[in-house]
Formats: sequence, C-alpha cells, structure tokens
Amino acid sequence: MTAQSSAPEKIVVVGAGMVGHRFVDELVRNDRSGRFAIELVGAEEYEPYNRILLSEVLAGRADLRALGLPLPDADRVLFRRGVAVDEIDTDARELLLSDGTRSTYDRLVLATGARAFVPPLPGLAGPAGAPKHVHVLRTLDDTRNIAARAMNAKHAVVLGGGLLGLEAACGLRRRGVPVTVVDLDDHLMATQLDRGPSRMLAAQLRSLGIDVITSTSVAEVISAYDEIVAVRLTDDRLLAADLMLVSCGIRAESGLAARAGIAVERGIVVDEELRTSDPWVHAIGDCAQPPTGMTGLLAPGWNQADDLVALMLGREDLDPDAVGDDRPDPVKLKAVGVDLVTMGVRPSQALDDDRVLTVSDGGGNRHVDLVLRDGELVGVTCLGFPDVSAALTLAYDRRTPLPADPLALLVPAGAQGGVAATVSPMRMPGSTTVCRCSAVTKKQIVSAWEQGATTPDAIAGATRATTGCGGCKEVVCGLVDWLNASDPAAPAPSVDTPVTPRNTPVESTT
Amino acid sequence: MTLEPVQTHCPYCALQCAMTLTPSADQVEGGSAVEVAPRPVPSVQGGATSAGGLCHKGWTSAAVLRVPDRITEPLVRSASGVLEPSSWEDALAFIATRVAALQGAHGNDSIGVFGGGGLTNEKAYQLGKFTRTVLRSKHIDYNGRFCMSSAAAAGNRAFGIDRGMPFRVTDLGSADAILLLGSNVADTMPPFVQHLAGVRSRGGLIVVDPRRTATAALTDGDGQSPGGLHLQALPGTDQTLLLGLLHLVVAEGLADEQYLAARVNGWDDVRRSVALWWPERVAATTGVAESSLRRAVQILAAASPARGGNGAMILSGRGAEQHTDGTDTVTAAINLSLALGLPGRPASGYGCLTGQGNGQGGREHGQKADQLPGYRMIDDPSARAHVAAVWGVDPDSLPGKGVPAVELLGKLGGEVKALFVHGANVVVSAPDALAVRRRLESLDLLVVCDFVPSETAQLADVVLPVTQWAEEEGTMTNLEGRVLRRRKALDAPGQARSELDILAGLARALGSEVHFDTEPALVFDELARASAGGKADYSGLSHALLDAEEQGAGSGGHYWPAPVGSTGTPRLFARRFAHPDGRARMVAVSPGAPADDLRREAPVYLVTGRVLAQYQSGAQTRRVDALNAVAPAAFVELHPHLAKLHQIDDGDDVAVTSVRGTAIARARITTTIRTDTVFMPFHWAGDGMANAVTNDAVDPISGMPEFKVCAVSIARADLFVPPQPEEVLA
Repeated sequence: MTAQSSAPEKIVVVGAGMVGHRFVDELVRNDRSGRFAIELVGAEEYEPYNRILLSEVLAGRADLRALGLPLPDADRVLFRRGVAVDEIDTDARELLLSDGTRSTYDRLVLATGARAFVPPLPGLAGPAGAPKHVHVLRTLDDTRNIAARAMNAKHAVVLGGGLLGLEAACGLRRRGVPVTVVDLDDHLMATQLDRGPSRMLAAQLRSLGIDVITSTSVAEVISAYDEIVAVRLTDDRLLAADLMLVSCGIRAESGLAARAGIAVERGIVVDEELRTSDPWVHAIGDCAQPPTGMTGLLAPGWNQADDLVALMLGREDLDPDAVGDDRPDPVKLKAVGVDLVTMGVRPSQALDDDRVLTVSDGGGNRHVDLVLRDGELVGVTCLGFPDVSAALTLAYDRRTPLPADPLALLVPAGAQGGVAATVSPMRMPGSTTVCRCSAVTKKQIVSAWEQGATTPDAIAGATRATTGCGGCKEVVCGLVDWLNASDPAAPAPSVDTPVTPRNTPVESTT
Repeated sequence: MTLEPVQTHCPYCALQCAMTLTPSADQVEGGSAVEVAPRPVPSVQGGATSAGGLCHKGWTSAAVLRVPDRITEPLVRSASGVLEPSSWEDALAFIATRVAALQGAHGNDSIGVFGGGGLTNEKAYQLGKFTRTVLRSKHIDYNGRFCMSSAAAAGNRAFGIDRGMPFRVTDLGSADAILLLGSNVADTMPPFVQHLAGVRSRGGLIVVDPRRTATAALTDGDGQSPGGLHLQALPGTDQTLLLGLLHLVVAEGLADEQYLAARVNGWDDVRRSVALWWPERVAATTGVAESSLRRAVQILAAASPARGGNGAMILSGRGAEQHTDGTDTVTAAINLSLALGLPGRPASGYGCLTGQGNGQGGREHGQKADQLPGYRMIDDPSARAHVAAVWGVDPDSLPGKGVPAVELLGKLGGEVKALFVHGANVVVSAPDALAVRRRLESLDLLVVCDFVPSETAQLADVVLPVTQWAEEEGTMTNLEGRVLRRRKALDAPGQARSELDILAGLARALGSEVHFDTEPALVFDELARASAGGKADYSGLSHALLDAEEQGAGSGGHYWPAPVGSTGTPRLFARRFAHPDGRARMVAVSPGAPADDLRREAPVYLVTGRVLAQYQSGAQTRRVDALNAVAPAAFVELHPHLAKLHQIDDGDDVAVTSVRGTAIARARITTTIRTDTVFMPFHWAGDGMANAVTNDAVDPISGMPEFKVCAVSIARADLFVPPQPEEVLA
C-alpha cells in the first residue's frame, strides 16, 4: 500500500553490531521524510563499537576509545541497549524482550551476527563447561578478559590458524606471552592462502616468537581446579597452557529466527532482496545466508545494509555495475610485524587463460602472487610488501589501468620518483634548470659569470636565480665557486668553501 | 607623474610579495614602463610574506602593463558584430539603456554581476554596493567561489570566523610539523617555500598530493634536512585520509583531551565518527601505506605543543578543497588540528592557503552572494540595517541572498539576461567551460571590465578598459589576513579607468541617487565604516595608517579584525574562538565520492592545477614572452605505465575526454604522477583547455565546484574518435 498514512512504518532492528548499526545509520540518513520509526535492540550492555578493532585492542595498539561508534540519532531511533529479543511472534508481528516488555513491528531486520564456534572437545564441553582462561574473541568482554589473563600467562595456545586466530596470536605475543598456534589444516589461513605463501607466513610468525603447529588439533583440554593447565594435541603431545583462545570460525546467530519458524540452514535464509521466509522479516550480515553465500566478512554485510535501506526506500539508484561491487573483498591481517593482504583469486584457483605472476623471496620473507584476467587484476596475495599492498588493493578494488608489465606494480611509488639525486654543479648538464622560480638554467648562470657576474649576488642580479624561494642558493654558490676556481683570473673563492682542484677536467656546460 | 620608486605588492597571488616599482624615464610602446625589484621588509614590521623574494611571474609582471593588445578605449559591439571603439559616455549610456530595459521587462534580478578575487578591497566593496543599491539585484558572486569557499565555510563552521591563516606566515618557520594538503606552493607561490625551511630541517613536512610535485619533492631529505613525508593518495580520498589520521590519534591516545574539554564542542561525536576509519580500510581506500599513516600521526603529535613540540600546522589548498565534499574535507582537517590541541597555540593550527591576490579581502566585502561588507550575512536584519545606513538606503531595498557562482553561471540566458564581469575570465576558468561559453553567448548583454582582450572579453557586447595594479591605489588582504597597500607608479594608458570610476559613472547613468566615491582612500574609509562590528572588521584602518606603517612607524602589520582603536590582530584564537560561547565546534563528517567517478569507459582520474610560470586563466601571463618561453602550452602529465598502455610517447598529442568535453595537449611522461591519474594545467584556452573536461558538480555547503577530480578516458590524439553527439545525449 502506498497511500500516505499518518503513522510511520515501524522498523525494529535486532542486533547493534556493525551491520545493524550501519543499517540504522543509513536508514536515518536517507529517510529524510521520516517514513520509518526505528527501534534498535542490542543485547550487549555497551554502546555500539567497532568489533574489527578488538584484535588491535588485544595487541595494545588501539585505545578502547577508538572503538566507540556514533550513537544513533536519539530523535529518530529508540535504542534499547542491553536488551535481548527472546521470541518473535511472526503472526502478531511482536517481539518478546528480555526485560519482559513487548514490542511490535511492521518490519523486522535481524542483524544478530554470529558467535564463535567452539568445537566439542573433551575437557571443554563437559557438564561443567569450559575451564577458566579458555576464551573466544568476539566481544569487548572477551577482549578484556584475554588481556587481563595475558598479564600473568606463561604460555597461550591459540586453536585455529585463521585470520582472527593469527591476529590474536600476534597481539598476545606483543604483550609478551609465548604463543603456540595449532591448526587442523596443513597450512595457516587455508581459506585465503596457498601453501607456499602460507609456509612463509608461518616462518615469519616463528621469527616473531610464535610457534606454529599444523595438521594437528587439540584432542583434550586438561584442567586442574577448574583452570586450564595444558592441552593434549591429536599427536599426543602435551602443551602446558594457562590461556587458550579458541578461534575455529563462526556460526550464524540464527536460533531466534529458527524458534520463530523462519527458514534457517547454515544461516537465516534470505532471497536477493534480503527477505527471509517471512515477508516481514529481513536478515543481514553474519546471521544471514544470501543466495551468494556467507563470507563472515564485514564489507558484504555493510553492502547488504545499504541495499536493504535502498530497497525499503524504493530507491532505484542501486547500481549493479558499480566498479568493484562484485568482487570478493580484500582480507588484511592486522598484526604488527606481519604485512599480509589477500584478495580475489589465488594461483591455485586461477583459470588456464589467467596470467599468474609470482615473486617469492624466501630469504626476505616476501611473497607476491598477482592473478590477471582479461587485463584486470583479479587476485593478489601480498606478504611482506607493506609499501605496495595498499596500492595493489586499490588497483584491485577500483580496477584502475595496469601497467603493460604487471611486475611494475611491485615497485613502490616513492622508488619510482623521477627526481634525480643532487648532482655536483660541475657534472650537471647545461640545460638543467637551477632556479625553478625564475627558470634559470646552468648555462645561463655560466654565461652570466662569463660576463662578469662572479659572486652569487651578482648572479642573482643578472639572472634572478636565488631570488624566489631561495632553494637553489646552495647550487648557485657551488657553481660560482667551481667557475671561480676554474679560472685563474677570477677572484679567490670564499675561504670556507672547498676549492675544486685546478686540474679537474671541466665538462661541457652546454 | 613621479619617477620616484614606489613601494607596492605583486599583482598575482595571495602571497602578495613586496616589490618596488621604479618608473622608466622613457616609456616606449612595448617597452617596460616600470622596473620591478623585490623588496625586503624589515622584521620590525613583521617581515614580508615574500621575505625579499619574487618568482618569475612577479619579476616579469611589468610586461603586462604595456602589452600590445592592451585595451585602451571602451569597445561596443556594432551591428555588424565587431567590437568597435566608443566614448565612455556612449558606452555607459548604452549599458544603462540595456540594463534598464531588461530590468523593466524581467525584473532587477535579471542582471548578474561576476566579480574576482584579484580586485582590490575597494573595488570588491564598490561592486557589491553597486549590485545591491543600483542594480538592486541579488545575483552577484565571484570567482573566489572557485577557490576559497569550502575552506571559508568550514572555517566559519568550526571557528566562527574565516581568515585563511589565523597566524602570521612567518610563524611557519617555528613549527616542527606542517601537513600540506593538496597545495603545490613551490609552483604557485614560490617565495613561500622559504618559510618551510625550518620544518624541513626538522623532518616535519608532510605533503598530501597525487603527484610528486616540486612541493612534494621538498619532503626528500638532503644533506641539510631530513625532509619529511609525501603521501601520494588517490585523488578524491583526502577526507578519508584525514579521518584515518584522526582515528590513529584516538587509537594511540594522542588526543589533547584537556584542550578538547576546555575549548571544543562536539568531540564525542567526532571521535565516534572516526571509529569506522581504521588504518587498513583507509590504506585500501587511499592507496597510502599504513606505515605512512602511522608515521604522519607520530610526526604531527610529536610537534604538538601539548606534547612538548614547537608547533604543528595543517594547511589546505585547492587540491583538497575543490571537491563535492570539500567543506567536509576541510572540516576533517580542522577536526584533526583541534584533536591535537593546535588552534590558538604557538606556531600551530589550521590554515587555508588562499590562491588569488585578494582572495581573502575579496570574500569579505560583499562580492559573495550571501554577504554584505565586513563578512556580514545578508539575511541578518541587523547587518542589513547597519550597511544600509552606511550606504544611505532603506534596508528593505537591499536584495536578499543570491546564488553561488556555478549556479549563477547556470542561470545565464535563463533568469539572468545580462552579466557584468570584473576581474574574471570565466570561459577559461569555470568548470565545464564549454557550457559556460554557450550560456554567455545566449545573454542579452555581456559587459566585461578588463585590461586585455581575455577570452571572456572577446565575447562581450561592451568591453570597458580598466587600470592595472601599478596604475592604481588600493588595498589587498593577503593570505594571512594582513591588509597591504597597493600603490600607483604610473598612469594607465589611453582612456583606461579604475572600476571605481566606472561604477560611479554607471550609477549616475542609471539614475541612482546613491553616492559612489572614486578616490580609493575614501572608498576604503567607507568600507571601514561598513565593516565596523562585522567579523572582518577594518574600521580601525585607513590608507594613511597603512602608509605610516610602511614608512617605519611599524606595528608589525595590520591584520583584521582591526576595530576602531585597534591596529589589528596578527594571531587569532589564543584565548577564544569566534563563536558566541568562545568555543570551537567540531562537526562529524563522512567522505563522499567524486561526482564523476571511475568506470570502465572512463578509468582514469583527471586532476588540474597550476604551473609556476603561468597564472590562473592565463589572461595576463600568457601575454608575457619570458613566461611563455618556459610554459608555452598546455600539457597532459601521465605515468609511463599509462602512456605505454595507450602507445603514447613523450610529446605526442593526447586527448583527455570526459562526458563534458575533450582537451588535447602534449604528453609529458613522468614517474612522478600516480599510474591511475593524469594532470593538466588549466591556464590555456583552445584545444588544451582543461576546464572543457572538468566537472561543475558543486559542494552542497560551499557551492565550490569539483575541479580537482573527474573520470576521463585518454587516447593518443591521432587515434582519438570524438564521441558522437547522440552518444553524448544517450
């Protein structure tokens, strides 16, 4: 129904994480006519924060204050903080909240996110639950607890060698804790990396003091007095451990939807328009399972938030052809001492006609794979090249023109700078511009000198060189000294300037 | 006429280098009428911004006085379509008749006025007064809208006042760090570079530019100085970069929380707004390595007085400002400076590098669509009452707010039937210039005041010859808000007259009762009265006071605000900001994208700018042989990678095409530019006119056009297929 109704449509957003927050922010920004009344329900007590940066906080690299996200506009959004949704009554379009109140909706947006997956290991999953000092890293509380334990921990075990596990391992190491990463796969970051660069990554981590054990998992968590003391690996090795981080991926937080009878598979199933099996309920972010698949990354979730706002407002400016939209997003490892960014296709996934360039420098712990398809950069693995990784990401994202020789992409911009190093006045070609401000060449200075301008001031009077920014003073003085020294008839050069030997061959000045 | 040396300032940029003009004894046609020499100003007078330097443009400025095609008599277009000489009386009468007829048929607002940032304060003031009291039209704006408006809007929003630099230029020498955003001072105001020597010697110069310009190259270390840091960001990402720097300030606990609590509103909102701009995201958007972002923040923080440094400054130029999110980009720069506790501290703060000679004063005295003299707002009843009283008119007779420059140009031939142009060459300098030309051609009346037949003057129905800098008295306000005297060294040739005479004559011809002085000192006195109590208060100043200072009774320069009884304010914000509560206001901002962004058929960015030996639209400098010898024609700067892709060799003609138009110029291949960006200088008309390509999309707050970025395709000119008109329409 499109008729103007006096009451605004009520939208309730469940989940104040990064995607729910983005959705609300975009909706408020774009719904200028106040068509929607917006309610945001968030289970965490905290103000919305940037979850991406938790590993930075764990590493002691970011102040907690850098995480706080903009608060929803209080005039437009009713924000219920620290309140969970217990049940959805899809028939009545009503929510039962954890504080005992109820709230109705016209449309519901589920942005409940995901939770860390904890495998059912002996010693972790018993009736008593996990022992103390075993953590996941998903929330601000998790981060605080891990950081607090890191003050006294003697050895930490990180189960899972994916992106988050490695960021956390580096963070703990930076806090001085010896760390071992245990990964079931035969190489680290198997989702993003081929074996070669992964081995190099492992070597780099080892050089930071992080032990890496692959093709292995934790068979049992051993505790005493309800505190972890060790883990037994699947190869029966025992590792002492007084801190354990379980980083084995995430699972969509879809229980609420499932209980309401909404279709759920690995996540809450949504169609192209981000609708669940209930037409009044949408799902976005990590909890949603769209036809294009689940990624666990932030950028697709933000895109879903933007798209859903546009759909709700009936905007038709969604541009499916916008540059960069259909590409998998870059993945960057945030860790001090390791620079790794991967995006798109990796060599093992390349097609026959793709062009694959690899530069591998084992001694320097550097490795780059570039995958080109139809003249475009469709995949990058970049380890240990911090000066070019940002530029590569940009070329991939924005599809900017590539050099005819793609290897040139690996030369940092600064290193290409065409500005010649300072050359001696003597060796400088005559056509060289000495004074940019007044466009005076070496040749003009030499001819002014030949006409009697034998001091820097006289050169300035005759040619105007040095009279602008003054940046060429040193060169002009050098030229004058060199010319005076080369001519016995000229007055002696100033005492504090080194004299060029008489027998120095004078090069052509033209 | 005297043959005594005359002390004045350069006709070109906002640095207003001090110069001495010595009239030549024999003034032959085509010869130099005056000898130009740089003039050091003793430090007891605060020193000169130029510190005794002049660039090539300044040294050769006298050549423009006697160019062979100097306009020396009024020209009126005849029935056969040719501009023919006329008497002043006939020309003014012709204009008055046409203006009266158009206003009778279409209303007062059918006449527009387009001013310039090169006009003296006196002329800018009279132009605004003439528009509001004689034409009684709301339609006035000026080319300063193209250069200063975003920084002005952001400065007003944050500080409650808009003075480009709230400190002296000479203060730069003491700073430990200076972040230059999108400004190539080594080419645009070369003597300014002297003030960067100190910061370079301390390794604190940070330059953000998609090109490794002569200014960016100053960050290279050498024997004497460690230099600094060049951040070669993707065009259009300056704001993202600044938000990323502020994020790091917060993340690394470097914010000056005490200062923020005591002097600033809005910090909580701004701090939260940068939570989403973590370094990896910013690096991926800007192309600047994360390590460089972190280093830049460390340099700025260490230089901040709150952390024991000698001072840190953030200075912005057109590269950062001429964008559809330019005001917000400057706001992001100001937010960063406030977070570090810089504004109001020694050798610290945010400043804007004004471009045109009187780009500062030109925006204070009534050329702007929404302003009255003294930086008063035209929709403020008390401001209207004050100014109307000075002008001797009924406040209700003053028109309301007009529209910014690009919108005004868009109305030509529509709501606006006639246009007066003063000190501007819009068919070369305006964005989407081909469209501007078409609209100018559709006018019923175009009157251009100029001293040379600029491309715009050549389209005019009436051209009125005016005096040049060395032929007139007046004042200019330089980039640091210092009011300087311009002095007359010789008479103008032929019948050229000052705009002050022309406006008074037109007022009479149009039957106005309003009094217009023609003596610059008297006009200044009236301006001073009109500005009294306004933000840009000049009421304590006069020509006599300014003259006395330069003759040795120096106070160290006169910087506005200079209310009656004061001799000026060299440094602002030491104790309070100009908002009523005395506090600065932070505003959370978020980056926009270029309005004309990369896509498959336009995969490269065009950025535009200036070269050392030419100035603005080139109307003056393209008439100087010595300058043309150095910078003879437009060019397209591009990276060898990009050149090779398109089989372009150095020196080949290259076509640069956007949806608006094409420019063709010589390829200049260099590794100093990004591989995804081409650069063109905008000084030339004809085939090489960069502004045929640029976008006229504007910043919604300031009205400033997005000169600095648009998406283009490039091709070698001999392989270039011009788009068919129907394709353009489709």
